[in-house]
Amino acid sequence: MNTNLKISNVTKIYPGCVANDNVSLEFNSGKIYALLGENGAGKSTLVKILSGVIIPDEGKIYLNENNLNLNSPSDAKKNDIGMVFQHFNLFETLSVFENLIIDSDEQRESLREKIDLIMKKYNFPIDLDIPVLNLSAGQKQKVEIIRCLIRNPKVLIMDEPTSVLTEQETSELFLSLKKFSEEGILIIYITHKLKEVMQLCDEVAVMRRGKLVSVSEIKNENIESLANKMVGQNLKTIKKKKAKTSSDQLIKITNLNFTSEDPFETNLMDINFSVNRGECLGIAGISGNGQSELFQVLSGEIISEKKSIEFNNNYIGDLNPQERREYLMAFSPEDRLEQAAIPQMKIFENVALNNFKSSNFFNNGLINENKIKEHSKKIISDFNVNTDNIELKSQFLSGGNLQKLIIGRELITSPDLLICFNPTWGLDVGAINYIHETLIKINEQNKSIILISTDTDELLKLSDKISVIHKGKLSKIMNAEEVTSEKLGILMGGAN
Amino acid sequence: MIIDINFVGLIIASIMASAVPLILASCGELITERSGVLNLGVEGMMIIGAISGFALMTVTGSLIVAVFGAMLAGVLISTIFAFLTQTLITNHVATGLALTIFGIGISAMIGKNFVGIPGKEFPVLFESLKDTIPLISPILFGHSIVFYFAFALPFMTNYFLKKTKIGLIVRAVGDSPESASNQGINVRLVRYACILYGGAMSGLAGSYLSMIYTPQWIENMTGGRGWIALALVVFSTWNPIKILIGAMIFGGLTIIQFHMQAIGVRIPVQFLTALPYIVTIIVLVVISRDSRKIRLSTPSSLGKSFHKDN
Repeated sequence: MNTNLKISNVTKIYPGCVANDNVSLEFNSGKIYALLGENGAGKSTLVKILSGVIIPDEGKIYLNENNLNLNSPSDAKKNDIGMVFQHFNLFETLSVFENLIIDSDEQRESLREKIDLIMKKYNFPIDLDIPVLNLSAGQKQKVEIIRCLIRNPKVLIMDEPTSVLTEQETSELFLSLKKFSEEGILIIYITHKLKEVMQLCDEVAVMRRGKLVSVSEIKNENIESLANKMVGQNLKTIKKKKAKTSSDQLIKITNLNFTSEDPFETNLMDINFSVNRGECLGIAGISGNGQSELFQVLSGEIISEKKSIEFNNNYIGDLNPQERREYLMAFSPEDRLEQAAIPQMKIFENVALNNFKSSNFFNNGLINENKIKEHSKKIISDFNVNTDNIELKSQFLSGGNLQKLIIGRELITSPDLLICFNPTWGLDVGAINYIHETLIKINEQNKSIILISTDTDELLKLSDKISVIHKGKLSKIMNAEEVTSEKLGILMGGAN
Repeated sequence: MIIDINFVGLIIASIMASAVPLILASCGELITERSGVLNLGVEGMMIIGAISGFALMTVTGSLIVAVFGAMLAGVLISTIFAFLTQTLITNHVATGLALTIFGIGISAMIGKNFVGIPGKEFPVLFESLKDTIPLISPILFGHSIVFYFAFALPFMTNYFLKKTKIGLIVRAVGDSPESASNQGINVRLVRYACILYGGAMSGLAGSYLSMIYTPQWIENMTGGRGWIALALVVFSTWNPIKILIGAMIFGGLTIIQFHMQAIGVRIPVQFLTALPYIVTIIVLVVISRDSRKIRLSTPSSLGKSFHKDN
């Protein structure tokens, strides 16, 4: 049976921002639709409206000509709309089966049979009786999909589903989605990744700043045309010039190990690598394979054996982050609002948190506010942070501006080594471009970078050498020119 | 020295009796915490239950009215907590502490007229069987209905959490209220229910103290048992069966140290009095140190306010 979903004149206004501005769209089953847009373009709001999480201020939703009243997620479920969120809606400490039975009215046995059938049909082998926290991200996503499929949905919405998947898992997911589509499920695929849209979808709707910009068929589009629609301007492509090969070693990691007591953390096993001056070492991997532990060990949040880290001919493994900064290391952690900055504090106060002895931010224990403010203004203008109010609480900066501020704070002391972890995660294309340019500039000044990232394209663009981390172990270090994203994907999945 | 075997039975029975209020309050608080709500008002809810039970018994003369009235009083005072933390999204810790202070104060005020009034005898079950089997009979028979209920409660709680759909929903809400809400579960409703249930159990625990254990009203008569109940929940890693073990150790040491004081063992009294607190916590820490299991049974959202925004 054909399914027709119609969004008619939907508007949702938040204080200070129009998330959806009079959006109308129509979808028919048999096709896979892409909803494309940058962060903050309003696509998440729109799908949350479709799944009943958010109630629109105006507008109507029709499924097969019936007006739907979606006031809660259970209304969406009742109307056969299934949704897989970007951040999984799973209960980590409950077993897979408990996660699935919780919103089902079926008996245990019959539900189990049904799940087994679905898992066989789509080749989703998952142990139903282990807690969800033991699953990989790809498996968790499959649990989410199974949860939708149990209800025989007419519509399946996938919100940025590949952000946590490997290349292989992504192609598996695409195969499944195509299969669902052939079986008559209407698929709406939300993403900001252009390559995926071209690979998977039949039609694409582009959103920008809450407005629907265009609806077109994929065969009439290419990556550049979509990128320009998404950003609203022509983007320049940046490319890294090949670095001059230098043999001047800056940092050397020898037999570094970390064993955690927390079952949620990954142990690091026998990490060895070195980075020369002017080089960028990229570390690829699926999130949760030890990246955050590696970052913490490198930054000194976790202290290791003194001799395991040699920086500029000093052994610094037992030093804390502040002491390491004195040796001209700089750090940009993954979580901008939790680790890199304190959201409730003002911009200039956050700048002062890097209290180098040389910066004279403090006199005899008293804060030298003028000095800090002067310094903050310099960061804001040098690094293109889009605000002129350094008294603003940093939580009100957009992700891109906050990241520029953090990178600026780290770089203004001209460190020899910058260690960054997913520096462009969740940023829009413009901000990503800026950060990438900045990182390339660092290398050109003969300074080094360790770039831990889950974004393979980013790594291939910026790195001179690449290694892959899998279950706390590093692969051998490869020259970036010899690496393809397919090869990285295989290594990220744990194969040799 | 000949030890009368029935005397040993009586001691064990008295240990169990002293564990009853702890088991009741802890099992109630366990459900509350499993839904992600940290209610530090257990002591306050218990003392409210104690005075309500005793006052209703004195005024109405009906034990049934008194017991259910005490539970209702627990529910009412926990409704204040639920309204503040779930509807007005106040901080759990501060609100819970306020609840305890409020409970102690108001119970002392109501209790003024009930000081010195003798309590009533609470009927016991199976009294005729009390002398049939040595050692066993005094342990098993001749106790109040609340006593039997308390010892069944940890097992029922365990069954409820592990085997029933509603138990699963409670755990899910405690694990991730955001996910639960996105699944269409009414997080606020679940948490309200769990808080009110915790209040009822604390009220019952309090009424056991003032009506059965020491049938009289004394100001501040819960004497910190609410805090011990809270500690039991945490140190048992939210496991009702371990709560039972912890409550028995605490009750046992409390009784034994009384006897030791009575026979004049030359250990400082302060140390003996502190002993149950220290040993209970040490034992529970030791039996619950598997960090994986702790992670799996700790409600991840414990004490965090959940506010659904639209």
